[in-house]
Amino acid sequence: MARAVWGIVAREFVRFLRQRGRLVSSLARPFVWFVFAGAGFRALFAGPPGLDYPRYMAPGLLGMVVLFGAFLAALSTVTDRDAGVLRLLLVAPVPRGAVALGKALGATLLGTVQALAVALILLPAARLSLTPGGAALAFAAVVLTSLAAGAVGLVLAATIRSIENFSGVMNFAIFPMLFLCGAFYPMRNLAAPLRALAYLNPIAYGVDLLKHALLAPWSAAGYGGELAVGCDFAALAVFAGLGLAAATPLLAREGGVTRAAFSGERR
Amino acid sequence: MIEARGLGKDFGAVRALDGLDLDVGEAEFFGFLGPNGAGKTTTVHILATLLRPTRGSARISGHDVVRGSLAVRKSIGLVFQEPTLDRDLTVEENLRFAARLWDLPGRAARARIDELLRQFGLAERRDSPVRALSGGLRRAADIARGVLHRPRVLFLDEPTAGLDPRARRELWQFIRDLRAASGMTVFLTTHYVEEAEPCDRVAVLDRGHLVAQGTPAELKRAAGAGSLEEVFLARTGRPLAVADAVVAPPGRDR
Repeated sequence: MARAVWGIVAREFVRFLRQRGRLVSSLARPFVWFVFAGAGFRALFAGPPGLDYPRYMAPGLLGMVVLFGAFLAALSTVTDRDAGVLRLLLVAPVPRGAVALGKALGATLLGTVQALAVALILLPAARLSLTPGGAALAFAAVVLTSLAAGAVGLVLAATIRSIENFSGVMNFAIFPMLFLCGAFYPMRNLAAPLRALAYLNPIAYGVDLLKHALLAPWSAAGYGGELAVGCDFAALAVFAGLGLAAATPLLAREGGVTRAAFSGERR
Repeated sequence: MIEARGLGKDFGAVRALDGLDLDVGEAEFFGFLGPNGAGKTTTVHILATLLRPTRGSARISGHDVVRGSLAVRKSIGLVFQEPTLDRDLTVEENLRFAARLWDLPGRAARARIDELLRQFGLAERRDSPVRALSGGLRRAADIARGVLHRPRVLFLDEPTAGLDPRARRELWQFIRDLRAASGMTVFLTTHYVEEAEPCDRVAVLDRGHLVAQGTPAELKRAAGAGSLEEVFLARTGRPLAVADAVVAPPGRDR
């Protein structure tokens, strides 16, 4: 079973490396935000001394990389279903849970690799220095957030019919998750109902951890992490566990065939 | 090898399959003949543990397809109507992926992949992405994928669909070679009578019901018919080709 899970992860990685466009855009996206949104909102942002807006945004941008990297990787399960690869996974002698785990770990790897690659340039550009403890915390945050986002993305991928719904996914899943994760403003600024909604978003806990790791000097001024570190980790673990548990039976539904198996029969 | 008793499957109000009894022996080449929509693929999906039967039970190599689904999946190979290859990966990468899913150790997997690539005429295309292959080679790669783990039973669901005559001939040669070399049971679904003729035994399915089962010679003798085409006509009152044309929606050919 370990070999099967590894096989699923390795395939995700090879596919990712082969898709140059996806590679370039995923690495460029956070810098577009960093430069353009950073320049525009700098003047509006009244942070504590030493914290300008691009710098404040850096942890959130890493969260964004994880969101796009891991969540979209998990969503690729929809194309797996269309290409018949999902059926191959379901007829292989591995438990259904191992299929979901492999896909989620593949998403974790992609989210983590992309976040690390971006961090190598983004953190120096934002003149953020890392303590060893902060680096370890940031790394753990990236890995666990990728896993949680991957697991939740799998549930969505197993629920939607085809990638033609993709603009719907962007509008109703990815954009809300991006703007309600505390990447661009402190969560404490949100009204209570919206804040409650934001905390249904796994990325919010990941960004909070990244703020703990990267913005520690400004946490006393209210610009660092807002929840306890343990609470963030627990929430991410719950998202990962529930996501995997929910995705496992959903992926096997209808034998991995698009629509009911009966329509496949009638071809 | 394959044993089904009273197997049935409903999709909503539609009875796709009803009261199916099947016995397929060791090393047998078994043909499952019927028009599109007769329930052939549904049967294969149930036997392959992808769908749960609504009624009845089935065993493969003594393992129940519902309770022993993992053991069943270990002992079977499957080639679906639709390809299961990742078009962005090369032929070899696809086979390596399958080898990991079937838990073949690295060295054994490499040797087996080399052997199959040679056997299926794919050795020179091993580094080509699957999307660059012709339909015939793609199907050959899919069958190589299906037999990678030396299954005791191979299910071929309409394996020649969408292939030109030459690719069809090559494919049947591969399957003859495989059977001769491994002695595995082959369960073939088809709506072409000429593909069912060489089978050891044939089951004829129509509208979810088994209408005849036996060797091609027995079936013809019992129906007083000269061909399996006429057997279908005698048993159902409709010609196979027409039943096919009525059920199959136009324009869905691959």
